[in-house]
Formats: sequence, structure tokens, C-alpha cells
Amino acid sequence: MRGVLGAVLIVLLWEGSARGFALPSYTLPAVSEILGGIWAQRADLLSGGATTLLEALLGYGLGTAIGIALATVITILPWSRTGIMPVVMAVNSVPVAAYSPLVLLWFGIGVSSKIVMVTLAVGFTVFLSALAGFDRVDRRSVDLLRSFGAGQASVLWRLRLPAAMPLIAAGMRVATVRSLIVAIVTEMLGARSGLGWIIYQAVVQIDFVQVWAAIFVASAISLAFFGLIGWVERKVIFWR
Amino acid sequence: MPEPMDATSPLLELRGIDKTFGAVQAVRGLSLSVPAGEFVTVVGPSGCGKSTLFNMVAGLDEPDTGGAMRFKGRGCHARELLGRVSFMPQRDLLLPWRNVIDNAILANEIEGADRKTARAKALRMLPEFGLTGFEAQYPHQLSGGMRQRVALMRTFLFERELMLLDEPFGALDALTRSIMQRWLLDVWERHRRTVLFITHDVDEAIFLGDRVLVMTARPGAVKLALPVNLPRPRPAELVTSPEFIAIKREILAAIEEESMKSFQSSGMAA
Repeated sequence: MRGVLGAVLIVLLWEGSARGFALPSYTLPAVSEILGGIWAQRADLLSGGATTLLEALLGYGLGTAIGIALATVITILPWSRTGIMPVVMAVNSVPVAAYSPLVLLWFGIGVSSKIVMVTLAVGFTVFLSALAGFDRVDRRSVDLLRSFGAGQASVLWRLRLPAAMPLIAAGMRVATVRSLIVAIVTEMLGARSGLGWIIYQAVVQIDFVQVWAAIFVASAISLAFFGLIGWVERKVIFWR
Repeated sequence: MPEPMDATSPLLELRGIDKTFGAVQAVRGLSLSVPAGEFVTVVGPSGCGKSTLFNMVAGLDEPDTGGAMRFKGRGCHARELLGRVSFMPQRDLLLPWRNVIDNAILANEIEGADRKTARAKALRMLPEFGLTGFEAQYPHQLSGGMRQRVALMRTFLFERELMLLDEPFGALDALTRSIMQRWLLDVWERHRRTVLFITHDVDEAIFLGDRVLVMTARPGAVKLALPVNLPRPRPAELVTSPEFIAIKREILAAIEEESMKSFQSSGMAA
């Protein structure tokens, strides 16, 4: 309730200052103007949003799967950690966006380069949180399962994976927003469609209402995705 | 019991077992034997290597070379005991995402038992463990005493000749503990498993045990093995009887001596 009130207050303040100071739209267009822009451009924004969402979702799914799988491998085969971790940390020490020119070169300006970029960004986030989750498992619980005759796979399935779920889920929640950011940023560097591409074109055409319209749509999608994953998280991890 | 056994040899026998962790010798020359069907309790000053003893018997730690370990009359490595003794650690270690029934059948599930059959069996055991109606509850919804009973049920459902209980009631308040002790004896008298039970509570050790083993200060070994020839079933008032007090006096004297030793040696080290 307080959140809604805050949002309404910000919108009113925004609308009031944009109109009251008669700010030009390249500084700050009024909210009503942006909403009008969204309505006018609804067909473009819808298809652009669909493209961006598709890239983000596919990359998110792939990145999550790869992140958890890699963390699982390191946990089962401890000797592989010394080989894998330095590489992962070296790649991850630079913002993912820095790789986008290379990825665009390798995978073209179509959808696949964005999916690769999102996979990378989401993969790192989920990998690191999954690894922290697996490492945090109580040694005594592992011993208990071993005393029952459990092997590695059984300990992983019955103990490590569920015990790591809270941290994996936290990583996945953070990754929702990252997946959209990375998809949009990569689109701005070269694409045929998508919200990032719409923003880039609008800037070139000095149409700042449209820039804002695309930003509004992007944050609506991002918030919805974040909320959905958060809701699923609360359902799945009921014991916290 | 599933396998026939030489009636004269004890179920578990340790001879001259050593265990060193880095520079610390936790156990030295530890020898003990646990006859089948007996309830053996182990007491000793804190840090005396009780837990090391348990981890070895549970198969989690391998003793140093030199000693001998025999299970059911056959020499064996500690790791061969994995899956062959039912182990209950100090904390209940229930899995928070599993309800009472699914926590209770965890060990059976790991053995590859059919889940439906195991659940049905666990359901029939609920009343005996005072958990009727709680089968679908999750650990965070239960009291400490109830969680401990779920953990004990898990241990009983994993039907092995030897049960290892590591201070199962250590975290409970005094009243709940005394109720749980009598309840455990009740259940034990019906199921008759061999039990090795660690505690730091001398009353508990005497009240439950057929035999009390007192351990020395670190490096741990058995200082004293005292039979408790008190009749069963044992009533709560037993703890104030002269026979009980006499046993207690002897054990306390032995522990006192060992505690002083470890106190002095740690005082000198510091």
C-alpha cells in the first residue's frame, strides 16, 4: 500500500515539474506524454518488447541451467575447481557488456547474439550463488547421509540441491533484472529489433518521448519478471 | 536379525584403536566391546574423543593403522560400516523441506526401499513415537522434543543391529529429557537393538545403560567399564536409590580424576 502511494507521488511530482517548468521533452517529457507515446507506438513496442523478452527468457533459462550444472560439477569433482574457477573469475572480472562487440561479431546482429550475452550474464550470477549454496551445506548432514550409505549422487539430490535452493533462488531473482538489462544493452549495439534497438533509433531521431516509452515498457517487463520469480521462490522454498 | 552370528563374540569390538588429527591425538589405545542386545553408555569429560569414537564406528572416519576393528566377529575397515549401523548425531539434522514422514524414511529411501511401503510403515510407528497426527508437519512447526523423536524414529526405521546415539537429548530441558529417557527405554525394550549411547550426563548413562564406559581425558581411551545391575523396567525413582547412588559415586570419582587431568594439562599449555 505504501509502495503504491510512493509511486503515485513520484508520478505526480514528475508530471507537475515537467509541465510546471515547461521542460523540453529532451530533458524530461511529462508522464502523460510518455504514456501517450506508448499508446501511439503500441504495435512497435509490443513486437520490440516480445523480441527482448524472448531473448531474455531463453538466455535466462540457458544461463540458469549452465550455472547450476557447472556448480554441480565442481561440487561432485572437487579437483575440477582449481581448473574451472580461475577461468570463470577471469571472464567474470570484466562487465559482461564488454564482450558484446565480440559476441556480435561471432553470432551476428540477430537474436542469437543477445541470447548468448544474456546466458553469460545470468550464468555467472547463478553459478556463483549455486556454488555458495552447495558449499554452505552442513558437513554433519552430509555425514549423516553417508552413514546411511548414501553415495555422491544421492547426497547431491537429497541434500545439497535442496539445501542450496534458497541461495540459488536469490541468484535467480537478481538475474531476472540482469537478463533484461543485458538484452537491451546488446540490442543498442546492433540489432534488427527489440526495445534496445527502438531506444537506439529514437535517440538517433532525437525522439525522446519514444526513448522514455521504450524504457517504461522495459521496466514494466523487468518488474513483472522479477515479481514472478520472487513469487515462485516463496512457493518453492516454503520452509524459510 | 538378518544374519546368523556367533553368539559368543560381541557385535562390535575395538582393540587398541588410535586416531590422530594433524598434531592432536584424539584417541589412543581405545578398546571396547559391545555384546549383541546390550545398551552401552559412554560418559567422559568434554573433548575426550567420544565423538571421534562414534564417527569411527559410524564409518565416517578411518582409525590410524595398528588397531583392530571387528563387527559381527569379522575384522573390518571403518568405511565398511557405512550403511551398516544406524547413526543419530547430536543435532536432529532433520531436512527442513521434508515433512515428518519423509524425514523419518530418509535412510530407507537411501537404501532404495519403496517409498510407499516405507511411508506406510512409518505411519504405523507414529503413535509409538508420540507423533500421531503430525505426519504432514514440517520440522520448523515442531518443538525440540518432537524433532528429536522424529530423528529417533528415522534411526529406528533404519533397521540395523547397532544403533549409535550421540547425546540425543543433550539439547532438551531437564524435564523433557527425563521423559524422553523413559520413553526410549520403553521403545528399546520392545525392539531390542544393540545401542551405543554417548552422553555427558552421568545420571542418564546409569539410568539407561546395561554397562557404563567412562572415558579418559584426551587422548581418549576407556578408563572404566562398569556393569549396571539394576532391574528393568526402570522407574523414574531409581535415580535416588542407594544402588544407583553407589554406581554414580564411583563414576563421578573416575570422571573427576580425568577432568582434573585435562584441566591441568590445558592450564600448562596455556
